[in-house]
Amino acid sequence: MTKIRSVAIYGKGGIGKSTTTSNLSAALADMGKRVIQIGCDPKSDSTNNLRGGRSIPTVLDAIRSGKPVELDDIVYEGFGGVLCIEAGGPEPGVGCAGRGIIAAIELLRQKKVFEEYKPDVVLYDVLGDVVCGGFSVPIREGVAEQVYTVTSADFMAIYAANNLFKGIQKYASSGGALFSGIIANSVTLPVQREIIDDFASRTGTTIAEYVPRSDTITRSELLGQTAIEYDPDSTQAEVYRSLARTLLKNEERYVPKPLEAAELKVWAESWSDRLLTKKNDARSGSGSREIASTST
Amino acid sequence: MVFATRDEADSALYEKRIDLSQATCPNREQRANGINIFYGKASDLIEKARSGCLQNHERGFAQSSGCSLNFYLSVRVGTIRDAATIFHAPVGCSSSALGYRELFRGVPVELGRPAEYDLHWMTTNLREKDVVYGAGDKLKKAIYEAQERYNPKAIFILTSCTTGIIGEDIEGAVADVQPHIDARLVPIHCEGVRSRIVQTGYDAFWHAVLKYLVKKPEKKQTDLVNVASMLSYTWQDRLEIQRLLGKIGLRANLIPEFATVEQFQQLSEAAVTAPLCPTYTDYLSRGLEQEYGVPYFLYPSPMGITNTDEWLRQIGKYTGKSDEVEALIEEEHRIWMPKMQAIRSEFDRIAAEKGSKVSVLGSLGQGRLLAQMPFFDELGLVSPAAMSQDYDNLILEELEEVVSRVGDFDLLVNTFQAAEQSHITTKLDPDLTLTCPFQGGAYKRIKGATRIHALRGDPHPWSAQSGYTGAVAYGNFLLQALKSRSFQKTLKEKTKDSYRDWWFKQSNPLYYMKRVV
Ligand code: SF4
Repeated sequence: MTKIRSVAIYGKGGIGKSTTTSNLSAALADMGKRVIQIGCDPKSDSTNNLRGGRSIPTVLDAIRSGKPVELDDIVYEGFGGVLCIEAGGPEPGVGCAGRGIIAAIELLRQKKVFEEYKPDVVLYDVLGDVVCGGFSVPIREGVAEQVYTVTSADFMAIYAANNLFKGIQKYASSGGALFSGIIANSVTLPVQREIIDDFASRTGTTIAEYVPRSDTITRSELLGQTAIEYDPDSTQAEVYRSLARTLLKNEERYVPKPLEAAELKVWAESWSDRLLTKKNDARSGSGSREIASTST
Repeated sequence: MVFATRDEADSALYEKRIDLSQATCPNREQRANGINIFYGKASDLIEKARSGCLQNHERGFAQSSGCSLNFYLSVRVGTIRDAATIFHAPVGCSSSALGYRELFRGVPVELGRPAEYDLHWMTTNLREKDVVYGAGDKLKKAIYEAQERYNPKAIFILTSCTTGIIGEDIEGAVADVQPHIDARLVPIHCEGVRSRIVQTGYDAFWHAVLKYLVKKPEKKQTDLVNVASMLSYTWQDRLEIQRLLGKIGLRANLIPEFATVEQFQQLSEAAVTAPLCPTYTDYLSRGLEQEYGVPYFLYPSPMGITNTDEWLRQIGKYTGKSDEVEALIEEEHRIWMPKMQAIRSEFDRIAAEKGSKVSVLGSLGQGRLLAQMPFFDELGLVSPAAMSQDYDNLILEELEEVVSRVGDFDLLVNTFQAAEQSHITTKLDPDLTLTCPFQGGAYKRIKGATRIHALRGDPHPWSAQSGYTGAVAYGNFLLQALKSRSFQKTLKEKTKDSYRDWWFKQSNPLYYMKRVV
């Protein structure tokens, strides 16, 4: 069996992790790779766009049913043969979703999912912040080997990314996953790119891809599809293909240097000062118009 | 922080008001700065506590332990006859309850133990699935099942680490089910992770009792005395309390062991709440006074002659029976004082022979610490050091008073760490050392050693420690343990040492304490 490339993709809730991950899966599948995508979010909608917008039964549903779990109960085929798995979770306000992720991943191991399907790539799409031990499982003990994070120039998204870096740093010495790059999402304005670039250089990280905001995504998702399926010739599809190629050949694995809470605050403030100045300049007619609409 | 008056400083030392709108009590750490590791002079502990610098520390290694659920509650709540207990926990958390069932069966029915003695014991047996999805429905099912199986007057729901960690909505389940069943539901938040001080379990229990079980008083019962007893008091103590109060026309409302649900409901109607152990009764006493105006006193405990006299006098005061109490004290003294005298002279004789007073190393809970040092004094014994399971500011003033009465002494605060205790036993080498049954058993030493108290389930008259019969029985027991060495001799010959020499060469009994900077 050739070595499986297993990758965890983290990021703040709502930032577009699932969109990124499923487009990535679709692009990889298109390139002839066998892909498993595992959604580790109690919302369990990570793989919807690979399956015509429909949800699949989750691993935790299967465990909850009390019946012996078969692979068929938890692995579903989606676009381009991507194998879709959703960990699932409890109802809001009940039980422990973190333990749920742990239980789900344990079950996947016991069921020898990877031996069975022999994938080339496994993508874990993990809920936002690393909130507790359960959600850090994909980066602990090398369950995944490489970590990417999706972030926009929004402060809270960067905050979440910085937290993720702390998690990676914590487990790096005990065989945990290492970092491989930032996926800069929704970068339309030059300043957004500047902000993310600056954050990357402060934390000693690299950018894997810049993904612009796009109508193609909005339209494809209304149909429950990825851009790769909906409009394979679109620019957006090409962006994801490029990201997929990067992911396949990217051997970079390193420990990021997260900012301390105070440092991060100072950094964010410096950016808001700069943005304000630019905005004022724009008002007085000396700066770029574009900046005036930035909300960071 | 600087306080204007002593009163102000005192009230800052612990939270006095009880807030029954909350699901449970604060833990002892928050309420009274509880700690469970300390070795040094009692005066030093007092000074640290007074100045607010007393700190708890970690142990890098701990021998044994017990939690507020399994150690303090499961064994006692299970004896409440017309109630059922649900452990909302993995099955292991409730296992110690089963052991105690056997213990209590040792009490003969003739001595008052109810003949029908089954455990109404249920567990929701939490497993991984319940952790992930929550187990509210399972709990509700268990409640209905308990109602149906036992038709109890109350159902106690005990929580565990698991429910605490995942944030089970116990109150929600209770509110849902309560309208549909007859039994009163009493959720007790006693998860082991909440506190390192096991006495938090006491408070959690009383909080639930106060909140869910105690009824508004319909009438005052002027002859009813609330007596809450902790685990280490024996069946004989119970009989002695009943005997003494009975002689002056009072009734003891003894809780929680073998009490009925009605007894809990009536707590608000009593004339006074009297302590067997101040630190155990504290939360209940304060709560009953705050909510229903039931007066209370916390000191002394009825241990030793002087303390028993004083204990009865306090009760006399609140029940209008002061004259009867004086008559009772006189009568009892006539019977018991000669016996006490005989014990005392025997200790004095031994002391004269060896040229110094007989020394006893006491091991006890913080309540006993206060009661027992003066009792040793009555017997003519000295104590080179005292041991206490834990310490908190609830007893600060009284500890100060004890120190001023009997002088300074070394104090080891430790919960269930037998090695630390054996270390100071070896170092101080007293004539007699007392071990707590929970704190490791007999030490291999040729001088006297015996257990400090018996468990609730021990019905033998020599295990009494309360009141007058208790003072004499315990005095005799200590004397016997000092004189009779055959057990120690056999132990020394036949068994290996529990600890290596290395351990005793360490200068500090708190070798495993991790200092926090
Ligand atoms: S409540 Fe916690 S500490 Fe107590 S027995 Fe259960 S798991 Fe152990």
